[in-house]
Amino acid sequence: MKKILLIEDDLALSLLYEEELKNDGYSVVVAHDADSALELVKNEPFDLIVTDIRMPGKDGIELIANVMGLRKDIPIIINTAYQSYKDDFMTWAADAYIIKSSSLDELKAKIKELIGN
Amino acid sequence: MPELRKDMLTGRWVIISTERSRRPDDFHSPAPVEIRKENLAFCPFCPGNEAKTPPEVYSIRNDDSEPDQPGWEARVVPNKFPALKPGPLPPRKTRGSYQWMEGVGVHEVVIENPDHGLEMADLPLDHLADIIRIYRQRTVAIEQQFHYQYVQIFKNKGREAGASLSHPHSQIIATPIVPKRVKEEIYGAERLFRNSFRECAICRMLREELQAGERLVFKNDSFVALTPFASRFPFEMAIIPNRHSAFFRQISDEEIVALAEVLKEALSRLKTELSDPPFNLVFHQAPNPQVAEKAWPGIDFYYHWHLEILPILTKVAGFELGTGFYINPMPPESAAEYLRKSEQPRT
Repeated sequence: MKKILLIEDDLALSLLYEEELKNDGYSVVVAHDADSALELVKNEPFDLIVTDIRMPGKDGIELIANVMGLRKDIPIIINTAYQSYKDDFMTWAADAYIIKSSSLDELKAKIKELIGN
Repeated sequence: MPELRKDMLTGRWVIISTERSRRPDDFHSPAPVEIRKENLAFCPFCPGNEAKTPPEVYSIRNDDSEPDQPGWEARVVPNKFPALKPGPLPPRKTRGSYQWMEGVGVHEVVIENPDHGLEMADLPLDHLADIIRIYRQRTVAIEQQFHYQYVQIFKNKGREAGASLSHPHSQIIATPIVPKRVKEEIYGAERLFRNSFRECAICRMLREELQAGERLVFKNDSFVALTPFASRFPFEMAIIPNRHSAFFRQISDEEIVALAEVLKEALSRLKTELSDPPFNLVFHQAPNPQVAEKAWPGIDFYYHWHLEILPILTKVAGFELGTGFYINPMPPESAAEYLRKSEQPRT
């Protein structure tokens, strides 16, 4: 079973994503901030990371840069409500940049494209 | 007494605030703040991380190296998450009273060298000439499609100038319309040509500036770096080719080497004398010739391409945004004098 690390500071949203992705057959581990996500990446193998950008403490951009310092091969999807972070070239470390919406179809399709199911 | 000065091409007015003027030394940038994201072990532009960029559209690399692999001296890649996306000419549509069109265009990133810390000012001249050659090559390539009407080449250096990553890079954005500011400059040049000077306004201005010399910073046989009469910002500089041409794409190989020398001088003096300030480097060129020669007949005669270097040493605030007036606390004559002395050891 493919294992996804989901970083989302909004509790309700993280529950929704977790449930939907589990229903699609993925194993999902949730972190609510960048520091705990980094600890998880150091200690567990993941097939994919889905991360928010705007979070308390370290933001998603800094998280991505840190993850790349640990593991360059791990696919990353940015899942944010904001277009503006596209101006930050550090987002190029990610494989996809998705704008959050009420439908998870785009996110699910991109996950499938990157790691299958 | 402060002076109101008018930029002759755009008609924009500037307040040169001599009473509030500060000494050149006052403009030194604070020590650069380490960008927190870059204390980290990753940069998508560094060699070894080519897989994180879209496939290169152009590169200068060692003969035995493969595309999208290390071994490059400079790379051009499409923006991974671009502001505009390539496509056919989109029709203009309306939504009520509003006009809109699909966001078609080209957005490329020029990764100027493999060394994360080697800024444009520090590049060897031949490498800087290579970068300018890349700008010319990309302009010509993009303009093959006539609906890319304007090619904007620019560089943001430093976070305050809009750069999100310190690995030296510049950007090229081509738009399916000619931007308003470009049109203003073209119309201004045309008006001065037809109604006043009967010659290119920049050629005339250049002659006057070379004679007066008070705003001159550096020159060689082909290019002049000067602080414009109506500078908006302290230490603003223009780099102007002596040879009249509307189109940057017409720059010769010899002129590229000469431009590299003047650009390096201008940037080095800024870096040395003002403690490496953030800046924007902006090309001003005529639109795609396939469009320009139809929309503005005679543009070859009255428009003159050039570059601007805009150091970020002051803040643009409500007055500037509301009026389009700028207040510049550093007279360009003083700025030029300070930068001219740069080559001399200071006591």
